[in-house]
Amino acid sequence: MAETAPFDEMYNADGSVREPYRALNAWLEEQPDKALTLMQSDAEAIFRKLGITFAVYGSEEGTEKVIPFDVIPRIIAAQEWRKLSKGIEQRVKALNAFLYDIYHRQEILKAGRIPEKLILQNAAFAPEMMGLEPAKGVYAHIIGVDIVRVGPDEYYVLEDNLRTPSGVSYMLEDREAMMQLAPDLFHRCKVAPVETYPENLRRTLESVAPAGAGQSPNIAVLTPGIYNSAYFEHSFLADQMGAQLCEGPDLFVDGGKVYMRTTTGPERVDVIYRRIDDDYLDPLTFRPDSMLGVPGLFNAYRAGNVTLVNAPGTGIADDKAVYTYVPEIVEFYLGEKALLSNVPTYNCTDEEQRNWVLANIADLVVKEVHGSGGYGMMVGPTSTKAMHAEFRRKIEARPDNYIVQPTLALSTCPTYVNAGVAPRHVDLRPYVLVGDRVRITPGGLTRVALKKGSLVVNSSQGGGTKDTWVLED
Amino acid sequence: MRIAIRHQLSVTPPAGTANAVLQLLLTPQGGPTQSIESWSVEMAGIGNAGRFIDAYGNIAHLVNQSRPEGELVVTVKGVIETTDRHGVLGRIGGEPVPALYRRVTPLTKAPVALYGKYRNAKETRLDILHGLMARVGEALGVDAPGQSQMQADGGQSQGQGGVAKPLPPASDYAHSFVGGARALDIPARYVTGYLMGAEGGVAAFHAWAEAFDDGLGWIGFDPRLQICPTDRHVRLAAGLDGLSTQPLRLVPAEDGVRELEVSVAAA
Repeated sequence: MAETAPFDEMYNADGSVREPYRALNAWLEEQPDKALTLMQSDAEAIFRKLGITFAVYGSEEGTEKVIPFDVIPRIIAAQEWRKLSKGIEQRVKALNAFLYDIYHRQEILKAGRIPEKLILQNAAFAPEMMGLEPAKGVYAHIIGVDIVRVGPDEYYVLEDNLRTPSGVSYMLEDREAMMQLAPDLFHRCKVAPVETYPENLRRTLESVAPAGAGQSPNIAVLTPGIYNSAYFEHSFLADQMGAQLCEGPDLFVDGGKVYMRTTTGPERVDVIYRRIDDDYLDPLTFRPDSMLGVPGLFNAYRAGNVTLVNAPGTGIADDKAVYTYVPEIVEFYLGEKALLSNVPTYNCTDEEQRNWVLANIADLVVKEVHGSGGYGMMVGPTSTKAMHAEFRRKIEARPDNYIVQPTLALSTCPTYVNAGVAPRHVDLRPYVLVGDRVRITPGGLTRVALKKGSLVVNSSQGGGTKDTWVLED
Repeated sequence: MRIAIRHQLSVTPPAGTANAVLQLLLTPQGGPTQSIESWSVEMAGIGNAGRFIDAYGNIAHLVNQSRPEGELVVTVKGVIETTDRHGVLGRIGGEPVPALYRRVTPLTKAPVALYGKYRNAKETRLDILHGLMARVGEALGVDAPGQSQMQADGGQSQGQGGVAKPLPPASDYAHSFVGGARALDIPARYVTGYLMGAEGGVAAFHAWAEAFDDGLGWIGFDPRLQICPTDRHVRLAAGLDGLSTQPLRLVPAEDGVRELEVSVAAA
């Protein structure tokens, strides 16, 4: 697959410009020399001023970096987006139905559609969630689906990200920067807004408040604190929504209800958008050594006095081993064929598949089942022979710890690099909100692999971002 | 049988604790083998406690203590009417699906030696479970004949041979049984409760197990005593293991929970 030329979102194979990119192409051609260089340095200044940084774990030089931003937007046509968002909506509805079932009657296991062991013995399955009735039956309220495009009409879902996906602040800031950098371009293209995200997030959170919360529920964003790589985003979202940003010690449980300590006394909290992992949420129920959580929080949740967003235990639905069953899950709960495809995934615990994988590792992508952020993965075609050998050993030692997929020819978009404008591989993370209804922000975060030929788009691995435009009809 | 229970336990938060939070799993529920005549859980702050049903269907209390000083004492009192159903509980509404209890936890990993011989056994599930209970007894030890054996009439025979090497706590037996059953793909759960007439190393605050049979539903097995629970067993809480059924949990915790007093007697 790696040998064929990847699909370029701007140029057809004959060099002509694809329809959605025509206005952008014309604009690019009009730009005087050095204009993009200037824009690029202006962009950096804007991001420094906004203070958008991320932490790279294990990096030697200072922990805070500005995520690289590319000044050329990525464009999606209205009808392309309609199709894509329909597929996303289907997927998040099915996954929420799956979560409800898994934590109640487990019909899908009784029907034998998914191996029982895969769920019940899975570390991501939270038995503490059994029988709990989350508001509106929703478990995963905030989702960032990772999608790659490989052809004009061909998309694959890489990961569903139902645990607290990050990056939405980049989507918002990328748009803001782009509007400052090229306001004229927005006159030529009718771009669907993303600025509504914080308002939609707020509406979503309010819609899942516990029954007794009243007209304007009190919302808090719970962060592990300033050393977390996404702390900027936590404070940004709290600020944008007009919600309180708090850390574990700012909250306490009394009489089965959750309160925030304020200068004017305790204030009841109804909905918590928590950016703390399940294990650390409540030392009384989960890890007893957690200093980040709130003792009794989970019990208050069980008592129906507070809503946790996302619910604990949603990780079972985006587990890499469960991922392969998502098409099955869509069919089981919705009675429909999945609109979005899964990437074919090889199961290394099966001897035949494993032998094939070991023989062809140079062409494959290997991922740790519980890894994220591009850590612990290997992209065969761009890795050394020593890396291939290392991952062969790893798979042989722990076949259940890895999933293996073919290397997809990710689509490319024109990107401003040192050599001028050149194609670079991109992916897409649309942000989905599920509450009283499903709200999908048009576009999402486009991540771009800035290194020529690289397929790894994670910011921790040298990826950048682009503003993502969904055109309106 | 009418059984009166009085149970007092205490825990001491670290000095200087601003806010102690306790979770209590100390409230039994009525069911096929028992009905609750009266029950009370007393401690400072219980009036304002949050009350909820946990994932396993148990009644739990969440109690707060601001600036606790010294030890926190919990006193549980009640009278329960029990019925001997030879351990058979059947199916109880409001409980999680039995399949949940196939999940292996760190406390319920059993060695193959314990259950291996039943892996391809042709016996009925009930026979396998009785066999497994006997295997747990062989592996961990049972009381010597005549040594504080439970008698059918409710009394105890007196130990005659003096006290031998103490046997492991009942929780070890329950965990082994549960682990063995789960390894055989049989749903099994850990149960806490009270045992009337306990003696000879068996505590009145007791632990046993329940396993699921598709025909009979949930059936109790007390591998420490090598019997199915009788009308001397008062069921308190059930869960995946001893961790999820702890009667009292405290954050921040310092030293463990102390049993001050437990009496279980015919009322």
